[in-house]
Amino acid sequence: MKRILAMIIAVVMMATLFVGCNGEAGNKGGATALEPEAGATLKVWAPDAALDVFKTQCDAFIAQYPDAGITIEVVAQGEGDAATNLLNDPEAAADVFSFACDQLNRLNDAGVIMPVNTNLAADVTERNSEASIAAATLNDILLAYPETGDNGYYLVYDKSLVSDEDAQTLEGVFEACRKAGKKFIVDAGNGFYSCMFPFTGGLTIEGLEGEDNDIQKFNEYDEAEVVATLEAFAKLFHEYSDIFFATDPAKISAGLAEDPSTVAAGIDGSWNAATVSSILGENYGAAKLPTINVNGTDKQIISMHGYKLIGVNAMSKFPNAAQLLADYLSGEACQLERAEKISWGPSNTAAAANEVVTSNPAISAILEQSANSVAQVNIASTFWDPMGNLGNNLFKEDAKYDTETLTALLDKTIKNIRDE
Amino acid sequence: MKYIDYMQLNPFQRFWYNFSNAMKAFPGKLKAFFVAIGTFFVKFFKGIGKAVAGYVSRFIKGDWATKVSYIIMGAGNMAKGQVIKGLLFFVIEIAYIAYIVFFGWGYLEKFPTLGTVEQGLGLNPATGGYELMAGDNSMLILLYGVLTIVLTAIFLAIYFASTKSAYQVQQQVAAGEKPISFKNEVKELLDHKFHITLLAFPTLTISAFTILPLIFMILIAFTNYNKAHLAPGKLFTWVGFDTFSEIFAMTEGASKGATFIELTKWTIIWAIFATVLNYLFGMILALMINKKGIKLKALWRTLFVITVAVPQFVTLLLMNQMLQEDGAINVLLMSLGIIDKGILFLNSTALVARITVIVINCWIGIPYTILITSGILMNIPADLYESATIDGAGPVRSFFSITLPYMLFVTTPYLITNFISNVNNFNVIYLLTNGGPTTENLYQAGYTDLLVTWLFKLTMNSQDYNLAAAVGILVFIVCATLSLVTFNLTKSAKNEEEFS
Repeated sequence: MKRILAMIIAVVMMATLFVGCNGEAGNKGGATALEPEAGATLKVWAPDAALDVFKTQCDAFIAQYPDAGITIEVVAQGEGDAATNLLNDPEAAADVFSFACDQLNRLNDAGVIMPVNTNLAADVTERNSEASIAAATLNDILLAYPETGDNGYYLVYDKSLVSDEDAQTLEGVFEACRKAGKKFIVDAGNGFYSCMFPFTGGLTIEGLEGEDNDIQKFNEYDEAEVVATLEAFAKLFHEYSDIFFATDPAKISAGLAEDPSTVAAGIDGSWNAATVSSILGENYGAAKLPTINVNGTDKQIISMHGYKLIGVNAMSKFPNAAQLLADYLSGEACQLERAEKISWGPSNTAAAANEVVTSNPAISAILEQSANSVAQVNIASTFWDPMGNLGNNLFKEDAKYDTETLTALLDKTIKNIRDE
Repeated sequence: MKYIDYMQLNPFQRFWYNFSNAMKAFPGKLKAFFVAIGTFFVKFFKGIGKAVAGYVSRFIKGDWATKVSYIIMGAGNMAKGQVIKGLLFFVIEIAYIAYIVFFGWGYLEKFPTLGTVEQGLGLNPATGGYELMAGDNSMLILLYGVLTIVLTAIFLAIYFASTKSAYQVQQQVAAGEKPISFKNEVKELLDHKFHITLLAFPTLTISAFTILPLIFMILIAFTNYNKAHLAPGKLFTWVGFDTFSEIFAMTEGASKGATFIELTKWTIIWAIFATVLNYLFGMILALMINKKGIKLKALWRTLFVITVAVPQFVTLLLMNQMLQEDGAINVLLMSLGIIDKGILFLNSTALVARITVIVINCWIGIPYTILITSGILMNIPADLYESATIDGAGPVRSFFSITLPYMLFVTTPYLITNFISNVNNFNVIYLLTNGGPTTENLYQAGYTDLLVTWLFKLTMNSQDYNLAAAVGILVFIVCATLSLVTFNLTKSAKNEEEFS
């Protein structure tokens, strides 16, 4: 099926290339103040869950410029594949699109993202959190508008089974789950989650290097420390293999909804928070990630923390209107509305201080965790698969987890990610 | 070996004898294959040489109109009264020149370098916005360059045809014949040139939608079009065979070379098991259903074939869920008390996952074999079995001496196509395991990845388009070689048919 789809995409791509041979992209001079082009028609990519919110927000944007005659079409497109789909055919893609910040490099390398208009950049920089601006900036150019500040994961638990005190340490959570006879779920075979194992041990990423700027750079980590941490994780996973399940985080809400529930706790993404909290109701527990005991010291688990950004397509025929729309959609009012309606944590500092946000346990847990996190910026595309494999090898039943094996595994993982 | 000696061998010895014969014959076959390719090229170039010689001699022998039509296509035809035909030639010439001048040349010129000017961003002080300063788009240059070359080849063919046509009509007039009218020529297309009319449309569409993209994709393997050189932002260029040497490079960590070899091995093992098991089990099931004395034959047949009613990808995605650690199969086994802890069917060791995908593939493939073989089995003359029984042959003996040879004889083409489609069996692997279990020893691949799913991952996950194109070419070579070998082996199977 996927192959057929890919083939169709390829054929469509070829076909559009044949048709769309206009050659040069429009180089129109504009007026001094930024005004949308008259009669601009824009296409917006937004994830399925946020489609309705984006539609109403786009309508509100159109109402701001009643004379311009703007029309906007909002199309469902997951943030995870935004860059891939954009690169397939930039000219047919959306003018304004939301994407996860780890794709920024690819978009910039391919020259398909238009930097933020310099007239707007100062304001955008001022109203958003510093970290989110850093995530949207490459080579000192602000490339995109921060959309959310919470693309990360947190500990979710059923308060009737796991006490707030248990939730402080991973050992406590596991013990409570075992007592309840219910599962603990984390997608440990997925690089986005499994990177927390070495990160907790002190490994971290420091952007890209190399001639083509495509090799992942790591810090000068203490190998013994990282391996000891991996060992501690592996030991826990094997010890509690009866309740530890490495699978898709969507299974957390599914397991909680079963009657009787089969899941007691898990590490879940912010995007599922609304669903989980509605299932658990009063018993909804959300906290920053717990600590893990490595050779006698409790270590805070370090996670990967991302941002969602809104970008403008460099091939857009209406760049001014697109810039203004992206600016509007990433503004305080829109971020607050999304926080309220679909629990998306804001990157906007004013919106983040709003009561709507501070009273939301999931968002505040994630924002608390963000202090102990590695930003999901400047990541090589080769990062995810080897990292996922590292996670797989920590919990697989037949996998060895002595110091020697794990040292070799870490070494190979780093080599595979760097792929020199 | 004499026939009598052959008859005294046991089945294994016979197989070995046939196999070694086929292997001995293989170098000869391979040589014949390359000789055939060689003769093709010799013929091809001789043809071109002949065409050029004819082109020159026609110019020398031609009258003024024919000579003019070497520059203005169709002039000869028009001068002899074939106005519409001549005009058509002329229009084609004008269209081609216009295409080259206004469009094609710009791309063709840059084709050797694939572009030199990189796209950039400039700040427009008036709007404060960044604007695109368009540069060369290597991908479009490659694509339209190929298009222009193909169109030029087609134009040259038409050009040669036009000079030939001009000379023919000159000869006709010289012989005192009346040149054929356009109306009659069109009529001929519906009469004894009907094959041209029929084949024109398929040829045109296959060229545009298959051959042209194919050339384009093959050429990508000889460029450095990868994640560091993405169009339109960056330029890519020709690198010759560097991509291929990259595939076979043995580097530290997970090397591409080791990955390619490992995945090729597994792909072949997978294709053999997936084909043979489906075939054998499907046939055995069909035999059991067709056996005398079995009641409710239609019911059994329907039951077995009903899995076809569920679309393949749905079955595979369901199976993927059922085989998870907390999936239906593990829960069932645990509640029956057979195991204490869920088995990681798809995500533990390479062996377990590989066996699992082969078994699951049987579930999907066997119904088709039942459908195909039932009809053929019913066609085997019953008296063969009767006389075998009288001679004292048991069911196993009858199967190997009557059923299997007969079936192999009829279904060999099916087996070979099935084998090749299994080499490229994307769905089963991608939807069932997505290549897992993962490993740090393979580059962007897991233990159950076939070459074709690896290719997909290289394209979609890591944007290594050049590597993927090169792998695609190598997969083709593997498929072609395997088909040749299997064809050779089946030849021996057919010889055996003659013996029995």
